[in-house]
Amino acid sequence: MRRALRLIRVFTAASVSAQLEYRANFVGAVLASLGEAGVALLGLSLLFSQPGVQQVGGWTFREALLVTGFFMLTEGFISVVVQPNMSKIAEAIRTGNMDFTLLKPIDAQFNVSVRYLNLLRLPDLLLGLGLLVYAASGLNLTLAGWLAAGALYLSALVIVYCIWLGLSTTAFWFVKTQNVTELFNGLFGAARFPATAFPVPVRLLLTFVVPVALITTVPAQALTGTLTPALALVSPLVAAGLFALTRWFWRRAVASYTSASS
Amino acid sequence: MNWAWRKVRVLFATQFALMTEYRAEVVIWMLSGTLSLVMMLVWMAQAEAAPGGQVRGYTPAEFATYFLSTWLISQLMVVWVAWELDPAIRQGQLSPWLLRPLDPFWTYFLGHVAERFVRLPALLGLVALFAWLSGAQFTAQWWAYPAAIGLAVLGFTARFLWEYTIGLLAFWTDSSTSFQELVWLLYAALGGMFAPLAFYPDWVQRVAVWTPFPYMLGLPAQLLSGKATLAQALQGGAVLLAWGLIFGVVRYAVWRVGLRRYGAVGA
Repeated sequence: MRRALRLIRVFTAASVSAQLEYRANFVGAVLASLGEAGVALLGLSLLFSQPGVQQVGGWTFREALLVTGFFMLTEGFISVVVQPNMSKIAEAIRTGNMDFTLLKPIDAQFNVSVRYLNLLRLPDLLLGLGLLVYAASGLNLTLAGWLAAGALYLSALVIVYCIWLGLSTTAFWFVKTQNVTELFNGLFGAARFPATAFPVPVRLLLTFVVPVALITTVPAQALTGTLTPALALVSPLVAAGLFALTRWFWRRAVASYTSASS
Repeated sequence: MNWAWRKVRVLFATQFALMTEYRAEVVIWMLSGTLSLVMMLVWMAQAEAAPGGQVRGYTPAEFATYFLSTWLISQLMVVWVAWELDPAIRQGQLSPWLLRPLDPFWTYFLGHVAERFVRLPALLGLVALFAWLSGAQFTAQWWAYPAAIGLAVLGFTARFLWEYTIGLLAFWTDSSTSFQELVWLLYAALGGMFAPLAFYPDWVQRVAVWTPFPYMLGLPAQLLSGKATLAQALQGGAVLLAWGLIFGVVRYAVWRVGLRRYGAVGA
């Protein structure tokens, strides 16, 4: 465990010094973060600015902002940690550079998951946290709510990581898979809004088929105290199940790896 | 004239062949642009729950028709040229293009046009499927369809020109593609991807009518929903044409100035 933490520190330091080479990119990254936040906030404020609308799917504006906050936070997590690493898996398989990763005396899945960090997208995380704090300041939230939300959000991050890893691992067989993650991004766009704001069939789809609702709506419900115990249990169970599944899938994929041109 | 036609034909044929290679990706890209569909579902649920079953006069079925039309039109408006110009300029891949007796603009333009034809069969299939699932009903007036297609063609040309100009900013800056995201936000918001333009505050609407955005997305969508008149379509077409000319002149000027700065790579 201590070795893992030390490695993460080394990887982070390497990412930082590599990215400080391209300081001008920071401007671009900030613009991109603001664009993301703009899309999320615009949709929500339009819904609430219609005459007579007090609630959307049973959520007040402040409560729905919590969902948007978790959405921005997750966007940040994807841009900072998940996407920079996962997008390199397919490339490493195509060029045969995966050889070097597999030869290193550390767990290969750990290595491909945390080697690169895109710190330029840290503003996404800050925007998400800012939104959460702003939304929470107008609501009566309990400490228990925060703790439950924190725990559930951790499972949410594990779910996001597992889905990306699972999709990226298919590259061991299909090589060209970068676009498949686009599909996840498309569905994940629905997480900007509380799951209850969707028609019932879609809501079920977003909860059980593609667990988008577990990522943003469930932690927000834990904060507002409207979470049902069943859903509170589902989220960690799905996270643990997905983690075991992707771990098994990754091992199978590595076992079938034959390096480039063989 | 004859030689120009031949160039167009050859470029179109080669680009069409190139794009059919990526047909699976084209379908995936189509499904990744879900903003209109997400907004459609949320607004439909809103109208369902509202007293009287409607929001600002839109029933769930009308929301479905409007947003599905927006999705259809926005799929015809997809432009990624800024992402291609950025590496071409920064890594010097532009150099061989400059030796040809033809502005690279035309190759990119016809590439995008050819991709529309690759996209169309799957697109129409998906629209039919979504319309059946959501209860959307498109207008029965025949003239709305050619009018919407005309606006889409003009809108696509205008969008392509401004995206190309943004891509050309790579002559000066490394983060040209990030500007593209901000302009996209403006286009999506004023185009009506989040909600019909009438749902916005008055001052936004007053500003929006001077921009090209409402006429390239919202107006064709309203035409397909049977909520806009032929006169509005003609007026919108005129505005788009004017903007297209402006963007065309700006694109040409930026290209000429930028080319003087271009020193291939490492020069």
